[in-house]
Amino acid sequence: MSPTSTAKRLTPAMADAIAQEMRSDPTVYLWGVDVTVGVMGPTRGLAKEFGPDKIRDCPISEAGFVGAAVGAAIGGLRPIVDIMFSSFTYVAFDQIVNQAGRIRYMTGGQLSVPMVIIGSAGAAGANAAQHSEVPSALFMNAGGLRVAFPSTAHQAFWLMRSAIRSDDPVVFLFHPALASARGEVRDEPLHLGDAEIGPEGTDLSILATGMMATRARAAAAVLAERGIWAEVVDVCSLSPLPWDAILKSVRKTGRVLAVEEARLTCSAASELAAGITERAWADLKAPVKRLAVPDTPIPFAPTLEESLIPSEEDIVKAAEEVASA
Amino acid sequence: MIDRRTLPSRKEQNGQMTEKVVLKERGESWLRTMVRGRLFEQSLGELYERGELVGVVHLSIGLEATAAGVCSNLRKGDQITSTHRGHNHMIARGLEPERMFAEILGRSTGYCGGKGGSMHVANFELGSVGANGIVGAGVPMAAGLGVAAQKLGTGNVAVAFCGDGAANQGVVWESLNLAALWKIPVIFVCENNGFSEFTPTDRVTAGPGIADRAIGYGVSGVVVDGTNVGAVSAVAEGAIDRARSGEGPTFIETRAERWRGHHEGEESYVGTYRETKEFKDPIVQLIQEMDAAGLDGSLLYEKIHAEEKDLIERSLAVAQQAPLPELSTALEDVFS
Ligand SMILES: Cc1ncc(C[n+]2csc(CCOP(=O)(O)OP(=O)(O)O)c2C)c(N)n1
Repeated sequence: MSPTSTAKRLTPAMADAIAQEMRSDPTVYLWGVDVTVGVMGPTRGLAKEFGPDKIRDCPISEAGFVGAAVGAAIGGLRPIVDIMFSSFTYVAFDQIVNQAGRIRYMTGGQLSVPMVIIGSAGAAGANAAQHSEVPSALFMNAGGLRVAFPSTAHQAFWLMRSAIRSDDPVVFLFHPALASARGEVRDEPLHLGDAEIGPEGTDLSILATGMMATRARAAAAVLAERGIWAEVVDVCSLSPLPWDAILKSVRKTGRVLAVEEARLTCSAASELAAGITERAWADLKAPVKRLAVPDTPIPFAPTLEESLIPSEEDIVKAAEEVASA
Repeated sequence: MIDRRTLPSRKEQNGQMTEKVVLKERGESWLRTMVRGRLFEQSLGELYERGELVGVVHLSIGLEATAAGVCSNLRKGDQITSTHRGHNHMIARGLEPERMFAEILGRSTGYCGGKGGSMHVANFELGSVGANGIVGAGVPMAAGLGVAAQKLGTGNVAVAFCGDGAANQGVVWESLNLAALWKIPVIFVCENNGFSEFTPTDRVTAGPGIADRAIGYGVSGVVVDGTNVGAVSAVAEGAIDRARSGEGPTFIETRAERWRGHHEGEESYVGTYRETKEFKDPIVQLIQEMDAAGLDGSLLYEKIHAEEKDLIERSLAVAQQAPLPELSTALEDVFS
């Protein structure tokens, strides 16, 4: 079977998924600030094939053009908005949370908002507090928003196709430091709502997304050398959470480390820890451990930034604690 | 019915010469500020080239006259809010190059202890609430600083610097509406450099001009040549005086092109999006004006340039030797 995308890096895989959907569905449009240039990567090259009617550069008016996407989605298009850094969603928060996320519910299911909002999430080295956040928990908590956060080209490609086809608003995050991460897109479709497991293991489950998932996989290799078999559950769909996949892993290993590149309080890791404890208490051999960023904004100085974000070694250390608890 | 004749009109202040008395009194200080800002940013550009800068740096080379022209009319206690492209605003407000370098290099002696970086340099004592990473976000804060000054009776004003791109953020006009209604002592300074990031401004900005939009709020909108420091200063001085005496806001649009791209290092992913050409130089323009007025700007420039070059070099050397922040500081300053 031939691969469904020949993209070999993460954001080009997103662009390829968008291109494929655009070719087959004339209602797919994409807009945002400087999407022709493609500042963060996922829209790079699209304007060349689809032109300025489909790929539209916007004024810096996030509340306006995100809101316009909500309206266009209700009206019959499938708009994709590239917001650039996900922190810029805060400027458009009402349209995303209060409008896009609630309209189906409030209208008793009459209206759909099939749109995708793409944003980079996470620290990529000295961008300071307004350009370094992982805001996934905010959107997980909003109600009515689907959230995807792929960490590989494979996940990025398939989840983007699934996101564009979804009849719900999807917040689609990717880590800026993984934008050109290499990886094959395999001919094994993933869908919104799926998690991806690998490597498999028996001693503990490490749950993570984005850069933390990448570091967790590296940590798993280190742990394996020390005789600890960690299973990494990449929770690339964060809303709704893929509980079946998560619980299957947890029931197998009985030990859990949830890692998150976001503030600990009310983070995705916190939700996972609480949800696992409620659902799989009897299967747990040790308390669930969370590893996340302290409850501070992300500082500018690279030394400070690095000190707050879980590293591969931090994950190894925490995993060893969980494995031996 | 609105009587349109009573509405303020958009004024153009272009090509005007600054009077000799004014040049004599203020020329040297403008020149020094602009040269300092220029040298400061040129050395940031060099640091970037050599791979010694982290994060994203947006240079404002070519835009010095707006910063110098506006800030030279401010006094202690006045506050500015700035943008991602704010180094010149900070220099013109009197922030020290050494501590600015230290901040941008992530050192403990930086104005924000290394927590802010290039897009967040700030010093309240010197009258700068700070640069900002979010386009348009500083503008309502300037309005609020004006309200605080008004209610506390300090007689201070606030200046909101923003770019032409920011003029498409609704919050800018929400702020102007408030400022007009409440007669807030705030001056809006929109630096129109012709590009909103990588897109030509007119492709994303409807209407005859940004300053014209102010007229809809009953606020006078003035367009001024942003390479002419004397012209900028004259407009700003009037606006600041009116704001201070309770007459509310003015919207100033300065026009000048930035010489550098949107940010250093953009060539790695952006193709050519604008033509290369000779840009107007606000520093050269001031020197020529001073020369023409018989004030020997050229000689003065030689002297100032040498002094400022020395200052910038020394400041950078000290900043580069400054200690990195203690890691424990990453957890400080979250709450009072
Ligand atoms: C809310 C928000 N949207 C987008 C950005 C990304 N961004 C940073 S600077 C910039 C362009 C700003 O244009 P303008 O105001 O004209 O200032 P210039 O860069 O031209 O000086 C953009 C889009 C941002 N920082 N904040």
